[in-house]
Amino acid sequence: MASAFAAAFEILSFGAIIILVVLGLGIIASMMGIFNFAQGEFVLLGGYVTYLAYSHGFPIWVGMMTAPILVGALGFALEGLIIRRFYAAPIVAMLGTYALGLIIRESVRGLIGGFYIAVPEPIGGSIDIGTVHLSAWRFIIIVVTMLVMIASYLLLSRTTFGLRVRATLENPALARASGISTPMIYGTTFAFGAALAGLAGALIVPVFSLFADLGIRFLIQGFVAVMVGGVGSFIGPVAGAAVIGTLSAALPWILSPVVADVLVFVLAIIFIKFRPQGLLSGKGV
Amino acid sequence: MFSDYSSFSRRRFLSGFAFASGAIATGIGSWVIRPEWANAAEGPIKLGIATDLTGPIAYAGNADANVAKMVVKEINDAGGLLGRPIELYIEDTASNESIAVGNVRKLIQRDKVDMVLGGITSSMRNAIKDPIVARGKTLYIYPQLYEGKECTPYLFCTGPTPAQQCDEFIPWLIKNGGKKFALPSANYVWPHTLNIYARKVIESNGGEVVFEEYYPLDQIDFSATVNRIISNKVDVVFNTVIPPGVGPFFKQLYEAGFLKNGGRLACVYYDENTLNINQANEIEGLASCLDYFKAVTKDDPASAKIQATYDKEFPGKILFAAGSAATGTYRGLKLWQAAVNEAGKVDRDSVAAALDHAKIAEGPGGPAEMVPGKRHCKMKMYTAIAKSGDYEIVARSNGPVDPKEC
Repeated sequence: MASAFAAAFEILSFGAIIILVVLGLGIIASMMGIFNFAQGEFVLLGGYVTYLAYSHGFPIWVGMMTAPILVGALGFALEGLIIRRFYAAPIVAMLGTYALGLIIRESVRGLIGGFYIAVPEPIGGSIDIGTVHLSAWRFIIIVVTMLVMIASYLLLSRTTFGLRVRATLENPALARASGISTPMIYGTTFAFGAALAGLAGALIVPVFSLFADLGIRFLIQGFVAVMVGGVGSFIGPVAGAAVIGTLSAALPWILSPVVADVLVFVLAIIFIKFRPQGLLSGKGV
Repeated sequence: MFSDYSSFSRRRFLSGFAFASGAIATGIGSWVIRPEWANAAEGPIKLGIATDLTGPIAYAGNADANVAKMVVKEINDAGGLLGRPIELYIEDTASNESIAVGNVRKLIQRDKVDMVLGGITSSMRNAIKDPIVARGKTLYIYPQLYEGKECTPYLFCTGPTPAQQCDEFIPWLIKNGGKKFALPSANYVWPHTLNIYARKVIESNGGEVVFEEYYPLDQIDFSATVNRIISNKVDVVFNTVIPPGVGPFFKQLYEAGFLKNGGRLACVYYDENTLNINQANEIEGLASCLDYFKAVTKDDPASAKIQATYDKEFPGKILFAAGSAATGTYRGLKLWQAAVNEAGKVDRDSVAAALDHAKIAEGPGGPAEMVPGKRHCKMKMYTAIAKSGDYEIVARSNGPVDPKEC
């Protein structure tokens, strides 16, 4: 019983981590129609900013609060300078963002010297329930993920900004005719997606330590999650992330880990074969 | 006007062409360190280093290159080898086997080096040994700790083998941890081969392997494994999971109360670099067994001198550490120096014959000697445990330990 409870918590917490990483990716993919291959590196940058703040003597949570703001700002700048030119050609956009990601990743690798660096969590240790020890920080990640998910959902479904984003996605020409500045909306949406990645990086870096390949590690899982969940809505990729995250954390409990790793992708491919539009298809929130 | 323009353009083309062909010929990432007296009568002895200057393990490759520069400078300052200066050629293997093979060929065919030392991972050694030893007909020294079983002629290994890392270490772990072992491992050749040997030593010393499991190299969530370790009441986690997985794995073990319940972590590649992957309290008491720790310098003046020279010449983040193959590189170069001195010439067969039984009295961690006919190196081994972010030596071998290879 205790073991089953621990298992449920661990699976839930890894699912939450994947959702957190996929949120920004999903928003950019669904709302802008761009597969951002640099998303993993935005996660990495979030972690790196947190580490920088920590290594310069600031409290760690200051770094965690700053990370989404800085990464979001960088996302806004990159959208205006580079990404904007790719909207007409989604394939080129994939290559372009991949190149961008490569530049960021290798720069960070140079800056941290290829090492693996521990970043402490603001609230460490474990929550002890009887004989079961649960990681306090993972618990906080679950809570923050839920809050961010709800906030993003409300932002896109209940605010004027969300309405404009959805209008721009559905019919850019009509949106422009109605007085919505679509370039501004694209810039802000991209920045928002990048900021979410920055936040994800800041929160997960104490769990996985800082290393240059931190982001790329989640990129493939993120894309499979978006495919399984379905592009076009906010909820789709989140649902996909929940499925993929839970599967990748749960299968090693019952199967050999090497088999489990492959099986997640095999299951995803079979699923997409029979339901190419994903779990939840359709546009909107 | 037109003719002026065309001649200018032709000149520019030629100079550009010369620059480009120069760049292609020497390549980026190629370094030649030529001593001032390189034009001595007999010409310099050429030493090739092929290591990971870029890529994920660049911190190790750069440490090895630094050690080579340090040793070569020392030899040249003392009058060279056989009265000839040593010219150092450093090539990047970039953690990419196809790039590495190309660059190693440059060392052999263009630079015609007399010996190549390098390669860190086993896959890199396997990729470059053929171009060096078989087709290149050159001597090759491999400096990293590894899984053993490399018995190619003209290939000498100067890092620790499984026997050196397990024979003294595992009995210590049973005494200072317990009898129930778990072997969580990354799924590649080193852990697989090391575990076969480790299991044998564990069982012959009255221990028991509760489980041995392999994970994808990039796995970073180990909740299922941690749960099995806790619920099976494992005493010793003999880890061969590598970065990036090892950091989250140790953290999850710590959070699940493994250390609090008296569990012992063990990891035979852990050195001064890997200490920083986790916060100090998460790996308190982690035991490692290597040919050198910085803590050895406290009571070994020879090691202290080498460490001090390195730190003076290369201050910064690139550490002189055993897990980076830095100690194996030092040992390899010094043994080679001894062999060349004995042979009195640099051709492959004479040097290999002398290297087969070469000895050095001073090296990082103590003296070292080649086991004749085995092309592996006897060396002293140390067991250390992590204590608040540093190592403390808790056991040392009585004299050099046999590699038991080939």
